[in-house]
Amino acid sequence: MKKALTIAMALLLASSALFATGAKEQPAAAAAPATDQSGIPAHKSDLIIGSAADINNLDLQKQQDQINNIVLKTTHQTLVRFTNEGTFVPELATSWEYKDDTHLVFHLDPRAKFNDGTPLTAEDVKFTYDMAMNSYVSSALAGLVSTTVVDEHTVELEIEKYNNEFIASIASVPLSIQSKHAYESGVKDPYYVGSGPYMFDEWVQGEYCRVKKNPNYWRDDPGVSDTITFRPIIEDSSRVIALQNGEIDVCVNPPINELSFLQDDKNITVFERAGSRLFYFAFNVSKAPWDNQKLRQAVACAIDRDSVLQVAVDGKGTPQTTILNRGLWGFYDEMPGFPYDVERAKKLMAEAGYPNGGIKTTLLIANSSPYTNIAQVVQANLKVIGIDVEIQMVDDATLKSTCKAGTQDLYLWRWNEDSKVDFVYRDLFYTGSGSNYHHYSNKRADELTDLVATEKDQDKRMQDGIELQKLLVEECPQVPLYIANLVIAYNKNLKGERLFGGGNHDWSHAYIAK
Amino acid sequence: MFRYVLKRLVLMIPVILVTSLLIYFAMSLTGGDPAVFLAPENATDAQIQQIRVDLGLTDSFPVRYLKYMAGMLHGDLGTSYVTKRDVFRTFIERLPNTMQLAGASVLIATLIALPLGIYTAIHENTWKDTLGMIFALFGVSMPNFWLGLMLIIVFSLKLKWFPSGGKSGPLSLVLPALTVGLGLAALITRTTRSSMLDVIRQDYIRTARAKGCSEKRVIRRHALPNALIPIITVIGMQLSNVMTGSVLAESVFSWPGIGRLIFESISKRDTPMVTGSIIMCSILMVLINLLVDIVYAFFDPRIKAQYTHKG
Amino acid sequence: MEAVKKQEEQALKSRTLLQETWRRLLKNKGAVVGMVFLLCLIAAAVLSGFIFDYDTQVIGQNIKERLQWPSREHIFGTDELGRDIFIRLLYGARYSLVIGCGSVFIGLVIGVIFGALAGFYGGVIDQVVMRINDMLYAVPNIMIAVVVVSLLGTSTFNLLLALCVTCATGFVRITRAAVMTIRGQEYVESAYAMGLPTWKVIAKHIIPNCLSPIIVQVTLLIGTTIINASSLSFLGIGVPSPAPEWGAMLSSGRSQIRNAPYICVIPGLAIMFTVLALNLLGDGLRDALDPKLKK
Repeated sequence: MKKALTIAMALLLASSALFATGAKEQPAAAAAPATDQSGIPAHKSDLIIGSAADINNLDLQKQQDQINNIVLKTTHQTLVRFTNEGTFVPELATSWEYKDDTHLVFHLDPRAKFNDGTPLTAEDVKFTYDMAMNSYVSSALAGLVSTTVVDEHTVELEIEKYNNEFIASIASVPLSIQSKHAYESGVKDPYYVGSGPYMFDEWVQGEYCRVKKNPNYWRDDPGVSDTITFRPIIEDSSRVIALQNGEIDVCVNPPINELSFLQDDKNITVFERAGSRLFYFAFNVSKAPWDNQKLRQAVACAIDRDSVLQVAVDGKGTPQTTILNRGLWGFYDEMPGFPYDVERAKKLMAEAGYPNGGIKTTLLIANSSPYTNIAQVVQANLKVIGIDVEIQMVDDATLKSTCKAGTQDLYLWRWNEDSKVDFVYRDLFYTGSGSNYHHYSNKRADELTDLVATEKDQDKRMQDGIELQKLLVEECPQVPLYIANLVIAYNKNLKGERLFGGGNHDWSHAYIAK
Repeated sequence: MFRYVLKRLVLMIPVILVTSLLIYFAMSLTGGDPAVFLAPENATDAQIQQIRVDLGLTDSFPVRYLKYMAGMLHGDLGTSYVTKRDVFRTFIERLPNTMQLAGASVLIATLIALPLGIYTAIHENTWKDTLGMIFALFGVSMPNFWLGLMLIIVFSLKLKWFPSGGKSGPLSLVLPALTVGLGLAALITRTTRSSMLDVIRQDYIRTARAKGCSEKRVIRRHALPNALIPIITVIGMQLSNVMTGSVLAESVFSWPGIGRLIFESISKRDTPMVTGSIIMCSILMVLINLLVDIVYAFFDPRIKAQYTHKG
Repeated sequence: MEAVKKQEEQALKSRTLLQETWRRLLKNKGAVVGMVFLLCLIAAAVLSGFIFDYDTQVIGQNIKERLQWPSREHIFGTDELGRDIFIRLLYGARYSLVIGCGSVFIGLVIGVIFGALAGFYGGVIDQVVMRINDMLYAVPNIMIAVVVVSLLGTSTFNLLLALCVTCATGFVRITRAAVMTIRGQEYVESAYAMGLPTWKVIAKHIIPNCLSPIIVQVTLLIGTTIINASSLSFLGIGVPSPAPEWGAMLSSGRSQIRNAPYICVIPGLAIMFTVLALNLLGDGLRDALDPKLKK
């Protein structure tokens, strides 16, 4: 018991120390200048967020899009909350501890209530997790065996084996706690019943989705804005213009090359911080000639990452050598890797058995920015060492299906992870993983991945993590290109926002001060 | 007349059948697997299989299509894979937006095209005629989305007269409608011009002029009403084209219409949504064309007679 | 004997008709301007292949010189990969023209064949062809193209196929209507009596009779197709990079529309003037070929 608590504490500390990437989180009330009697600062009634994607489904466990999750973050809560400083803090659970390696106990906040006024209890937690294990998002709960109600405010989770990052799983939005009562009483759209500071108000698909304040909110940190409206404006330039015209208060993902206009605008703040989204160039290592490690290394040396970074995001990002998303636990970028060096690339080509090049291949990309630009730079780079690349543009659905089936040669893709290293190592490189589009398999890499997940000695775990990264860079199933910065622009009076490097922002306490 | 309408409506059925089969078939053949797209990226194979079962994708193509058609016989166009909402309802929700856009753009097009067509017809074969036609052709010669972007830059960004996108009040309709409308103006202008030219050359116009009617009166009272029939046909045809064909303007202006709905559903491999919406579109198209024909017949007794004879 | 005579007579008539049309076309100022512009464009498309080196000047990148505004060195500026827009624009003319003409031509062949079959045989064949045609006509152009491209993948050839479907529907209608009016006429019957095979009858007697609407339609459709191709590029499924197709150039400039608007504006203008020229020519042809407007 004591041991388990120490581990939990160590985890918290370790992650908080490593995540200090210039995060920004303001408690709503603290920064507010003027407040009325109720302690709520003067604010614009409706906060309007201009999003870059359409909201398509708000049934938590039947969707996975970032934009849906961002809306749901305002209306629902998880047991444990992941902050943008990389720590996990209590939300619906006040505390938690490992009873032994495979049993994890959560103590719920007895004050917790749903927006229909009914209390949130251990039964609801069990109901939610049981439902999730048979849903689209079950992979987020991988390793969970069963959920048991101990008493009204205590719930016990049994997991297959001890995992350093299980807590992180619980913090994902689709696993927010839903009301068992709502589902059983036959309410229409029972998934709208949550415990967050806001509740669902109106959704006109393609136009806007609005949430309003939850009158039954249970904690003493209610939202400030009366309503929050999420408005999809798909066209990037239009979204920027809408912000400049004051039609929206926040412009998510402003196009990088229009930032100068926003920076010149005195009513607008452009916020930039290190991101967590890694863009990479990758090989299907199960397909000749890309099963040839030397050849992969030659390609890695031939790619001019600085030009890629310039062209893709106007230099607003960081190039890196390792395959892990920057900011994650155990991030190690000191290995020599394969920096841009055409001579070395040519030498490696010769060693790989292609002294004169002469390879014709295809590069599969999604038909959106920045892939089209990156692809053209890479195409020109590879031509130099005698590899003729034909670019194949497809939509996301085709790209995913093709890569999963393993019929592609080369491809460009990205991975966004800000809390769990396992979601990088295991998902992208583990033998047989569904998103291992590289179709890469290495026994040692699998072993190390398992060790990083389960090793309790944090020093040893760190060593394993570093070894794993070195191994994967050397094996070169992918060439990491750069981590894009998070850039977001908003009304200069915006307060209380919680911005995440990977874009999973939390607007539940944001408002425009007056 | 009634039998004619009935015949047209019955002929719609094979169109619907062929449309639905082709679209459904094409959607099933395209590269992306809807289940893979819906599942989280790190989903296991078992999970994806589960989603396939949920969506009914485990059946063979003919079985799936027959099931879909069986649903359609009961008026059920299916449920969206992505939003889990009823396809028909979603379509109907979006329809008014598209109708507003179509109506406004046809109105704008007509307001530009009628005067321009008459003007060019009166000044036939002069430089005024040439310039007028070049002006009318500008709109149709530009890629729609490009015109939209240019209008946004000028009227939204620089002048701040209209919002840049989205649907918020009547002002937000102006730029999208202008974008689509300018594209339609050319054909209507051209039709107006040639129709007017036809009429102007007729004897009774000469008679009217000889009687000493003013030129304005000749055009307004004698020529225009008689030139109107082909113009109405063209306007009607344009209306049905815009209903379904303004995908690009809708995506540039984030206009929540049907074109954008279909396009986004294609990229998400939402087969029921795509098939259902396109079927609805073709039904609408047929209905509008039918309506235009009826109006046409109403204006021109010769045609009415023809229809009643043919049955 | 009589049929041969008729044929000769017709040849004579069509020659004079051709001259007459040409004369009337030259009187139309807009059409002449359009024609001159198109001739220049074709010259540019052909010559640019000899003047510029594709690998270094057209697709060769120069990241250091990216996003330069028009200057004496680069008269239309450089794009986001530092390529000279003027050179790409000239070179890109061939893509737009090939795609425009190519898909219209394929559409024409398909459309005329099916239209002639439907009109000639009538009955079931007519019904089937026309119902499919109705359906293709009812579904928005762009949607058909989007579905075809996602089915076949992006390449210049697939783009041609995707766009020709739309073109074909119009030709089916025109040909069918023309065939149906001519089918029953005497000289066609007598051609049969002479023992000419069906395809020869179609080729010699029927097709020449629907030439004028087809010529007009071809001219106008090339313009529409160029625009549709650029629309597909805008939706991200057009000609694959790094080919300097105008639509692709335009869409790549879309993200730079405010800091480097020339990247988007210049190819847009190129498309606009080309299509405008085609439309002017098409309008001119329509008037010149229209028997009603004969004086």
